[in-house]
Amino acid sequence: MLLVPCPNCGPRSSQDLTYGGESHSRPDPKTATPEEWRTYLYLRDNPSGWLVETWYCSSGCRRWFKLERHTLTGELRDPILPGSKTGVASDEATNIQGGTK
Amino acid sequence: MADAPVFQSPITNPTPAKGSLTLTDESELTKVSVRGAHIAVSFGTCEQRGDVLVVGSRPDEWTLLGPADAVAAVVSGLDLSGFASTTDITHSRLMIRLTGDDAARAMEKACGIDLSDAMTPNGAAVGASVAKVTCDVVRDDVVSDGREAVRSYRFLADRSFGQYFWDALRDCTAEF
Repeated sequence: MLLVPCPNCGPRSSQDLTYGGESHSRPDPKTATPEEWRTYLYLRDNPSGWLVETWYCSSGCRRWFKLERHTLTGELRDPILPGSKTGVASDEATNIQGGTK
Repeated sequence: MADAPVFQSPITNPTPAKGSLTLTDESELTKVSVRGAHIAVSFGTCEQRGDVLVVGSRPDEWTLLGPADAVAAVVSGLDLSGFASTTDITHSRLMIRLTGDDAARAMEKACGIDLSDAMTPNGAAVGASVAKVTCDVVRDDVVSDGREAVRSYRFLADRSFGQYFWDALRDCTAEF
């Protein structure tokens, strides 16, 4: 089990969230070639190291967010909500479960 | 205008909890979901306003719990312009209250949330999975005259889980 830091709810068991896979930017449908679409849809980087992933907080705030996970050590850092410019890994992410926000 | 439908609780067999804890079926209480209208109650907290408990259940969503007329009064005072909406979810959601000094220890059997006072103090509201049921958990301690507050949690979940959810919580209370 992983302890996943949701930007809204704080640390939660990974069983309370849904894994969305590696985070990729979507190519422009007007200009993308078939090969770019194939790469976007089916190919994964699967690095040994830090990887940006998407998660869905299905039991808590019901929001998608991104974070970085180290595929070797399982470390998680920098959870960020869509539209945010910076990660919220510090106080806000770790201390806002329940009424302590 | 048609009369409001008669409420029927989804919990058909509310067998009392075992031991020192108390389980109460509060499904009949009026529940209204508010989206998009700003209410000054932060996500993850709840606040009593008169007879109505206002729960910050999502980052832009609130749940109002209370007697029908009191909830209607709160709703009528909201600014519902733009994309704001209110939905009466009284008949689609169940509500169970678990009360007792050992309520947190009982919940630990079915829930992965940190229930310590530091993380979920009185007035906290969290979305959680309890006995595999996705629900909103609101800590709303009960204060009776002159006595120390007794730890109490309210659970809001989909109506279809009714009897199973009651039985699952009841099993958690067996040890205490």
